[in-house]
Formats: sequence, C-alpha cells, structure tokens
Amino acid sequence: MSAQIWPLLRCWLLLLLLGGIEIALSYLPLGRALRPLLMIPAGLMIIAVAVGFMEIRRGSVLMRAFALGALFWLLILLGLGSADPLTRTDYPVSGVQVK
Amino acid sequence: MSSTVYHDFQYASPSHQAETAAVGMWLFLATEVLFFGGLLLSWIYARHFNQLGFDAGAHETKLWIGTLNTGILITSSFVYALGLAFIRVGNVRRLIQCCVVTLLLGLVFLALKFGLEWRNDFANHLFPAASDFKIIGAAQGGAKLFFLFYFIATGLHGVHMLVGVGLLLWIIWRAQRRQFCALYHTPVHAVGLYWSFVDIVWLTLYPLIYLVGSR
Repeated sequence: MSAQIWPLLRCWLLLLLLGGIEIALSYLPLGRALRPLLMIPAGLMIIAVAVGFMEIRRGSVLMRAFALGALFWLLILLGLGSADPLTRTDYPVSGVQVK
Repeated sequence: MSSTVYHDFQYASPSHQAETAAVGMWLFLATEVLFFGGLLLSWIYARHFNQLGFDAGAHETKLWIGTLNTGILITSSFVYALGLAFIRVGNVRRLIQCCVVTLLLGLVFLALKFGLEWRNDFANHLFPAASDFKIIGAAQGGAKLFFLFYFIATGLHGVHMLVGVGLLLWIIWRAQRRQFCALYHTPVHAVGLYWSFVDIVWLTLYPLIYLVGSR
C-alpha cells in the first residue's frame, strides 16, 4: 500500500513547492508584458496533477488521445484567437482623435 | 458487493467497461477544456488592451484567500487520490474517510470563495455593474472587465465544485452500501478524474486573477 501512497505524497509536495515558487515569482519586478510568464509554474502544476492524480500515463491509448486532443484544440483556440490582438498594430490616422 | 463483478452486455469484460467509462470521462473533460478555453481567450484579449485596468483590478483581490484555496484544492485532490488507492486494495472504510475529508475541503473552499471573498468584493463596490464601482479614472473600464472575468470565471468554477460535491456525496452513499470493492470501483475513478480537473481549472484561474496583475 505504501508503494501506492508515496508517489501521491511526492506529487502533493511537488505541487505545494511549485505553488510557493509561483507566488515568489509574482513578487519579481517583471514588466506588464512579461507577467503572463507567471503561468509557467501553473502549467507545471497542471502536468503534475494530470500525471500524479489523474494517472494519465496509466490510461489506454484512446484515453491519452482524448487528453492530447483537448490540449491540441485548446492550443488552436488560444493560438488563432490571440493571434489578432497580440499582433495588431494600431496606426494613427490623421485627423482622427484616438480615445 | 459480492466477489463476482458483473458488466453490461455490450462490454467484453468488467475491465473493458471500466476503461470505456474512463475514456468517456476524458472525452467529457476535453469538452470542458474548450469551454474554459473560451474564457481564457477572453482574458488574453481583454487584458492585452486593458493592462492598466486589469492590474488595478488584480490589486483589489485577496491574495491570501486565493492562495489558501489553492492549497485546499491541491490537498483535496491528493486525499481523493489516496481514497482511490485504498479502494484498489479493497479498503472501503478508508475510501469513505478520504471522500469525507475531500468533501469537507471542497466545502471550505466554497465557503472562503463565496461566503467571504465574494461578500467582501460586493461590500467593497467591486461588482462591475455597480454604479459606485470602487476603481475610477482611466483604469475603470479595464478594471470592470477584469471583475467581469473574475465573477464569471470563479462563478463557473464554483458551479463545477458544487457538482463535484454532489458526486462525492454519491460516492460516499454508494461506498457505505458496499457497492465498491477492489475489483469494481469505476465510478470512484471517474469522479476522481472530474475532481482533479476542477482542481486544474483553479490552478489556471489562480495566477490569472491573483498573480499576473502587478503586486
């Protein structure tokens, strides 16, 4: 039984550690544009939950395909959806007052 | 439950039925990923054009409540995973204990979020539709967008938590009737996947709401 508990305990401790790192990093004087990088520890925590508690590696091939499919479509959604706001350049138009 | 484990006619074996249930839950979770993905995209879009307001809004959030709730949810997923490990060796009593602890942690999360944090937010005039919204000036529009995201995201997450609480009660009820054993515990596994997913959603929302805005 302890062989099954130790990996879970390690995962829990890793998550708490990553959570602490995430908070500590949030106090760094990062510029506004760089602050979304604080999502990196959160991403690692999500992987830890998926591997440690949801046992994604123990699942069938089809199960992992659904999990990867979700990630793939999420990347499509976020990638294409944010391409416009993140790459748009607002050029000043003469005679028009920009609010 | 007797030592004989039955399976429905359309499955070749109990393990086939269990695997199908797990795959079905993952398919459902994939739809949930895209559901919350839209919310995440709205945050990216709105923050990009309203960074000042989003930071002003983030300053008004209670970091200690968000952090405490993060620890609570992580711990609840850990305890539930322990319960699953116990039922795999046939220990129903420990499964029930783990489910009760998970349930209590979930209720503490909801009490902190809605009983304390939301109440404070309303009292501090942070509801975006309020005529006396706290943040004024150039940051007001962005801050209102931030709190719109905040209330919708945490509200939707809370609804998922409530569903999870109901599922936990169902698992406890069935476990008390000895409907699970080492050979059959598929619903315990499926509910565990759901509960961990709700945890994952919070792990995404926590930095978006409390950390990315400059402290």
